[in-house]
Formats: sequence, structure tokens, C-alpha cells
Amino acid sequence: MSVVSPPLAGGGLVAFARDLAYRVVAEPLEFWLHEVAPTFSLSETLAEVVAVVDETPDIRTFVLAPNARFRGHRAGQWVPVDVEIDGVRVRRCYSISSAPGGARLSITVKRVPGGRVSGFLHENARVGAILRLGEAQGDYVLPARAPARLLLVSGGSGATPNISILRDLVARGAVPDVVYLHYARTLADVPFAKELQGLAAVHPSLQVVLQLDDGPPRDLAELVPDFADRETFLCGPTGLMDLLRRRWAETGAIDHLHEERFVAPTYARVDSGKTARITLSRARRTLTVTGAESLLEGLERAGERPDHGCRIGICHTCRCRKRSGVVQDLVTGAISDAPDEEIRLCTSVARSDLDLAL
Amino acid sequence: MQTIAFTPETPPTEDRAEAFGRELDALRTRTLEDLGARDVAHIRGVIRAMRWFEAVGRGLLHFGVDPVTFVLGSASLGVAKILENMEIGHNVMHGQYDWTRDPKLDGKAYDWDTSCAAEHWRHSHNYEHHTFTNIVGKDRDVGYGLLRVTEEQPWHPAYLLQPIAALGLALGFEWGVALHDLRIDETLAGKQSFAELRERSRPFLRKAAQQLFKDYVFFPALALWNAPRVALGNLLANGIRNLWTFAIIFCGHFPEGTRMVREEDAREETRGQWYVRQLEGSANLEGGRWFHVMSGHLSHQIEHHLFPDLPASRYPELAREVRALADEYGYRYNTGGFFRQMGSVIAKIFRFALPNRAPRVAPSPAP
Repeated sequence: MSVVSPPLAGGGLVAFARDLAYRVVAEPLEFWLHEVAPTFSLSETLAEVVAVVDETPDIRTFVLAPNARFRGHRAGQWVPVDVEIDGVRVRRCYSISSAPGGARLSITVKRVPGGRVSGFLHENARVGAILRLGEAQGDYVLPARAPARLLLVSGGSGATPNISILRDLVARGAVPDVVYLHYARTLADVPFAKELQGLAAVHPSLQVVLQLDDGPPRDLAELVPDFADRETFLCGPTGLMDLLRRRWAETGAIDHLHEERFVAPTYARVDSGKTARITLSRARRTLTVTGAESLLEGLERAGERPDHGCRIGICHTCRCRKRSGVVQDLVTGAISDAPDEEIRLCTSVARSDLDLAL
Repeated sequence: MQTIAFTPETPPTEDRAEAFGRELDALRTRTLEDLGARDVAHIRGVIRAMRWFEAVGRGLLHFGVDPVTFVLGSASLGVAKILENMEIGHNVMHGQYDWTRDPKLDGKAYDWDTSCAAEHWRHSHNYEHHTFTNIVGKDRDVGYGLLRVTEEQPWHPAYLLQPIAALGLALGFEWGVALHDLRIDETLAGKQSFAELRERSRPFLRKAAQQLFKDYVFFPALALWNAPRVALGNLLANGIRNLWTFAIIFCGHFPEGTRMVREEDAREETRGQWYVRQLEGSANLEGGRWFHVMSGHLSHQIEHHLFPDLPASRYPELAREVRALADEYGYRYNTGGFFRQMGSVIAKIFRFALPNRAPRVAPSPAP
């Protein structure tokens, strides 16, 4: 753990010294580091945008120079990216499109219509902008011993983890028998098209196959006849993934299929009066509340004793993290439906099943 | 027990209070929806100013040798501490910036540069004081268990010394605040066990030891031969901060015309009536932008009590609307210059040191 993490409760001389070191040394030091250079930090992984590349009309690559806290990634992994939009910090996870090992990394982002973060990145993340990163994670990675026959299938911005895997193989000079299959509307919508073309020319064992909506429709069996025999990495829009998944299931090769999905879960709405199931993930208990009572009242009725104070939404004592689900604020009527948002129990009602960090 | 006289105030009719409350709720919602980059820029700007004042102050204290840099250094450090305690610490710990989801502005994680433990403050201030504002017997901020600031508090001969006690409290205000949630007075009165007091003392002792170590051992030690100068400068900076925060906070609820409330009158209170109690129990101070920032915008005590978790830098603009609403609904809006309000607080401290002048006939309790 870093020396600059916020102090934890506890007693003893060690805790005393740690708290003091945090307030007297770490916190001011963090401020002054940031004054010197915007990516200097001992506690945060900050990255500067050093290049922006247009891949397709709506897909853009951001090349990032992270500070020394970034611990690298494995090809195919994703990284949480925090941006501040109108004062509010928002997090999204993006697959890393660059090969591991370099001082830089890149994320490739498709502009989602109405998407807050992707739209913000496309418009505001120019060269010099600073992004906050989390640690790279995910198990959509090649096994320790690279398979002899590989199939990388993607659609849309699902190409990002796959291009990372391919670039990694190229960088290591170990390109096996690979088919890179990408589904897109037109050739102009294929990210990394030029690079793929160049790689295929250099590496005879790499075959790039494109299935375009404006071309003749071809079945998977035509595109990649031996698909069931290949270790496959599949990432793309839900419809495409569901469709292709069925093919692997039918041929009994589902064990060879690795999938990466980036879809926000949808929640069944609970109207006032109906009950919602609340999972207290720390206490490992579940209970039900109604959509007609505040969460605080519901939890207390179920025998829970959460921290609280004023009960009218002013003191913030009952603030807790909602890991998933939808709540509505009784005072403002505001809806909170994103994961990992802080809510106040005393003024919130459940509008779906919830997972609370209690 | 002495009879308690309450301000003969007609209780607000429920309809009027509810309509007033709905207007304030709407104002609150409008402001919440409008929060954004400028609020974050404001608080980060103040944090930046605080760090620079701190660095300049410490630099002058640590490396200077003459009395001029000593005074300037102490003053600069004092300003840093005022900004940190008021506009940053007090407001961030209220959760005013929780919506930003910036861990540095997280109300539950922030710990400020005073001897008062953050967890004590969040309980005794954010919850107790802001929920039970001015309810005599429930709001322990009424006189801070030390002073008699309203005729509703029964007189005792010890209050004859309260002008001296008030001066002591002003000079050591952070310690008064730090000891507040220990409830020593309740233990002395037999209402709280010694075991409970011991339990409550733990966070206090821990934080107090940290502050004393930091200000009077750690930083002086860094200055080597200049250690006594640095220790003295820190003492002076803490003292400047204490006097200022005392003055601002006492001007918040104790000037002439602020209303105290009986416990039974607030028992079945509606949301609208809660707003009315906050409005009539608080008083504002008039001044310029930097005066407001240095007061943590507690110069807008009324708006702070109506909307304790809205970013305080919004209070000046909210004040215009709140004042118009108060006029429209016929509620008193207590505002005045710093010296007028402070003068009336000092006058009260002297006046209530003595027993109530004419033994007024207390209104008989409602049947």
C-alpha cells in the first residue's frame, strides 16, 4: 500500500505516526508535486495524453504517458479511467490497445451516441490533458503458452483488446497461426486497418479477415472454416457476441472461447410499494425493502442498524456506497443508476434490487 | 428549578412554513443541479491559496531571524489555518463536495488542522447542532455548555465570571471545540458515566497529541536553532485562527434577535418548520468576497443552516433569494455588519452573566 493512502481508524503508535505522516508530509507533498508537474504523484496513477489518433470516424486512440505508478498491463486487459466532467469524477473501463512493455499505453475509444465519458474524451482529451488511471486488470489474456492456432474476433471498438494481443505477439516476434477477424459496417469503420494490412504482408502466418456490412454476407464457416479448432478471443457488441457464442456452443468448442463484454447491466425497476432485494455485501446479508420507504427505514425495519444522524438528508452520516442498482433521492427526485455511487440512506428509496457496501 | 421564559413568538402556522419550505427545497434542488466545474475550481483554488500561505508562513518562520518576518510568517500561517479550518475543513466535512467523488474532497475522510477530532466534529456539529439548532437542552452549541447566551438558560452565580470565560474560550477556541463532544459537563452532572467519558476521550487525546506534536515538536525540530521561534510562531498562528473562528461562530447564532426554541415546540416539527427554525435561529454578517471566504462563508450562517451540504461559495447568491423569500413569507432575516453583530454578542455575554433583570412572567406551558 502506498504511503499516501488515507489513514485508517485504529490505535497504537504506528497508527498515530501514520496519520501524522499522512497529514503533515504526504498530503502537502502531494499538493506540491502536482504544482511542479501535473502528472507527479505518489498516490495516483496520472497519465498525460501525448497523442490522439483518429482510427475511424468515431473511434479515436489516446496515447498516454503514465507516471511511474502505472504497473503495466498484459495484452487484452482493460484499465479504469477516471475523468472529471463538470466537476464530477466519472469512471469508465477501457481495453488497452497497445502492446505491453512500453513507457506508454493507449486506449482506443468509440464515441457512443449520448455517451458521457466517450463524448467527453473525444471532445476534451487533447494532447496535454491529464487522465487518472486505475490498475490494469482482466483475464481476457493469452494463456502462458501461446496457442498454436489463434482466432481474434471483434466488432466495433471490440478490436481494442485484440489488437493489443496481436501487437504483443508481433513485438515478441512470435506470431503463431492467427486469424484476425473483424466485423464492421464499411472499410472506413475498421480500426487499425492500415496497420493490419501491413502486418499481414510481413507475417505470412497472420490472416486478416474483414466482414463488412456493405459487402457480401458470409457465414463464419466461410470466413474461418476451422474456427472451432482455434483458441478464440471474442469482443464486440452484445448482438454479435451472442450470435457467435451460439456457434461455438453448437460445435462443442465453447471451452476454446474467451469473451470480453462491456455492457452496463440493466435493472428491473421497482415501483413504490413493490419490494426490492437489498444485498449488504460487507455484512453478507440480504433483506427486502419496499419502494415506498427510505432505505434507512427499510434497513432498520429489517433489523439492521446502519450509521445515521439527522434522518432528513443534511448531515451525511448515513452516506454509503451503492455498488449496483437504482435509487431515487426523495428530496431532489434525482436518480442514481451508475455503479459505485455514494448515496444517503435516509433520503433514498430503492428503485431496483441493490447491492450496498454495508 | 427556575421557570424558563421563552421569546413570545407566535409559532409559524403550518401552511406558511410548509409553503416556505417547498420554495427552499426547490431552491436547493435548482442549486444541486447547477453544481459543476466552477464549484470544484473554487475549492481547489482555496486549497491552493491555503498551501501557499502555509509555505510562505513556514518559510518566513523557519528561515527568518528578525521580528518582521516572525510577525509576517505567523500571520501568513494563521491565514492558512483559517482557510483550512473554515472554507476547506468545515465545508468539506459537511459533505458539501461529496458529489464530486474526489477522494480529496470526501467529507467522511477529511481531517482538519485543529485539535478537534474529525469524527467528533461530524457527530456533534453536522448531526447534532445542525439538526437540533438552537433547541435549548438539545443543541449543545447553545453557550457551548460554558456560557449563558439566552435568558432561557437558568442563571447560576458561576456565570458572573463568564466574560473572563468567554475570553479564555476565544483564545483557546480549538480546544473548546475539541473538548465539546466529550461532554465533560454531563459527566460532572452525573448524566454520563466515567467509562463513557473515557471512551469519548480516545479520539480527542489522539488528535490533540498529533496537533501538539506537529506544532510544537515536529516543525520546531525541523528549524534546528530556530526551534523556539517556530514554536512561538505556531502558537501565534493557532491563536489568530482561534480568535477569528470564535468571533465568526459566535456571530452565527448569538447576536440579538436570533431565536432559541423549546424542546417540546420542536418535537413534531415539519420540514418547513425545520427550515423556519434554521432561518430564525441564525444571523448573517455582511462583508466583501474575501471576508466571506475567510469566514468559510459562515458569514452566511442563515444559508448554511438552511443548506448545510450545498457548497458554501454558493451562499452569497442563495442569500439574495432566501432573503426575498423570507420577506415574502414574513420571516425575520437577521443580518448586519461584523462589528454590530459582534458587539451585540459581547453585550449579551455581559448581560446574561447577571440574572434576568425583571423576573418576567413565563408564559404558561401550552395545555
